[in-house]
Amino acid sequence: MSGTDGAAKAVIQADDLHVEYASSRKNTPGTKAVDGVSFSVHGGEIFGFLGPNGAGKTTTISVLTTLLSPTSGRATVAGIDTVAAPAEVRRRIGLVFQTSTADAQLTGRENLTLEAGLYGLRPSEVADRIDELLRQVELTAVADRLVGTYSGGMRRRLELAAGLVHGPHIVFLDEPTLGLDPQGRAGFWKYIRELRDSKGITVFLTTHYLDEADQLCDRIAIIDNGHIIATGTPAELKDRMGGDTLEIGTAAGAADLTSALGAIPGVSAVARVDSGYRLKCARGEALVSKVVVAAQSGGVEITRLAVHKPSLDEVFLHLTGHAYREEGNGKAGATGAPGGR
Amino acid sequence: MYREVVSLMRREYLRWIRAPTWVISGLMSPILYLVLFGQAFDLGKLIPANVPGNPLGVVLLGAPNYFSYFAIGMVAFASVTAAMFSGTGVIFDKQLGIQQRIVSTPASRGAIFSASLLFRGVLTLIPAFLVIGIALLLAYVPGLAGLSVPAGVSAAGVAEVLVAILTLSLTFTALFLAFGFAADRIESYFGVVTILQLPILLTSNAMYPSGTMPPWLQDVVSVNPISLAVNVMRANLFGAQGYAYPVSTYLAGLIGWAVLLIGVASVLAYRSFRTGVVTSRRSAWSPGP
Repeated sequence: MSGTDGAAKAVIQADDLHVEYASSRKNTPGTKAVDGVSFSVHGGEIFGFLGPNGAGKTTTISVLTTLLSPTSGRATVAGIDTVAAPAEVRRRIGLVFQTSTADAQLTGRENLTLEAGLYGLRPSEVADRIDELLRQVELTAVADRLVGTYSGGMRRRLELAAGLVHGPHIVFLDEPTLGLDPQGRAGFWKYIRELRDSKGITVFLTTHYLDEADQLCDRIAIIDNGHIIATGTPAELKDRMGGDTLEIGTAAGAADLTSALGAIPGVSAVARVDSGYRLKCARGEALVSKVVVAAQSGGVEITRLAVHKPSLDEVFLHLTGHAYREEGNGKAGATGAPGGR
Repeated sequence: MYREVVSLMRREYLRWIRAPTWVISGLMSPILYLVLFGQAFDLGKLIPANVPGNPLGVVLLGAPNYFSYFAIGMVAFASVTAAMFSGTGVIFDKQLGIQQRIVSTPASRGAIFSASLLFRGVLTLIPAFLVIGIALLLAYVPGLAGLSVPAGVSAAGVAEVLVAILTLSLTFTALFLAFGFAADRIESYFGVVTILQLPILLTSNAMYPSGTMPPWLQDVVSVNPISLAVNVMRANLFGAQGYAYPVSTYLAGLIGWAVLLIGVASVLAYRSFRTGVVTSRRSAWSPGP
């Protein structure tokens, strides 16, 4: 994937975005919420913007969706400049906020009809699409109840439907699963995957959940303190950690296997630890049988065998030098204890 | 533009029809004034019957009795009181993120502002017309004073009365919407609005003639939009004698107030739409599970 190739297919393109919030006090510098952010998102992919709270995720999404003008830099969405033609951009995108923005005194259906009206669509034009959306997000049964009676998960699903009511090809989701229970999050991921798979919709989402970025996104950009510190597929990012770790437990006093294990093709490093060995390798599960064979021929009984995949936690720790945390700013968190598993 | 305004007004209507308590509470004080204060406080009874000429008619600028004079003032007061609630919806929309969503759509800011102004403006007409209806009906209740228009009124006069009520409604709707767009919290909004309510009423000629007031107060009364609207209505219903200016001058002054305050409100609305995105973004933070 070359740079020019990526730019040609890019549906969302950010070039050196800077956003500085003015300070409320005089003579004190403003806050640099976003400090030189560049990336491109290809058509039909789920692109995750991963970072702790305060990293600059919502600021970036606000610039891309024309709600905020960058202090400098340029962003295009569907090839349209977000500053030069904001209304054109808005028509083409769907936006799902991180908080509930539906009117609690209206029913779910009424909220969707209002949303369509704000895009200049007549209720009769969108009635069928609204029925379809309500069915997709499983709100048909409660469509005519006031939103004030909805559960948190139902409200999140209604927000998603509202972002899709005008049929956009690009959807922005700001922390879409914030506050949902694990079951609700898994359900929400299903809807997002369906958008990509059945309609080819490009999804840009922000998240501070590592597992969400890992399981849901085709590509991820990791942002910290207003800077993008890594971009790639979840697998690529994890490969930077040197692949999997194979942990082997042996009985005390057993013969030394270090050289036998190091001779297995694919093993990049062997370390002797208290109760056994730790191997580094590209794909741990492919080596399990060879490890067992090596141990047997050395006359050593294996008491424990575990394949340990690197987590984005470790990637994050590796890249930033501080543990992933779900709140606070970079300076406060930089002194925190490493959270590696 | 039209589709967006209709959608937003429909939303306001649905909200209102499901929680009409604001309007009911807005209607209470004008009705109490009509049924209690207006019946008890009859300026006409203070003038001895044996004074030659018709001093009451002169003081009340042609109104047949004090209640008729007073009832027209209450029409204006009812619409101002109802308009006091106009800004509340804006504040809730800001706090609940609804404004953020509306502003993020392609709907123009002019459409968003117009929908609020038109819906709230029309809403404040309801108490004004109810007060007219109740005041007219009271004339048929034995023992109570009611509104009477002895000389009748032309179609053009009715039209001018309606224009005055509508313009006054829009003027105060715009004023209180402006406070709503400027305020962040409902407490500060009502703090300002309740401070304003009585001064706005008492520096007008809604309840009593301005002729006996000290000159400085007369000056304030003469430019109060309530006075201007009330002058237009009374002159059309009870005769135009005794006024310092022709009716068209009062109407022009009232329209001037409306244009000025709608302008101020739209500037504050646009500012709120722009900064609202960022402020609600910051306050929208909520902790993860």
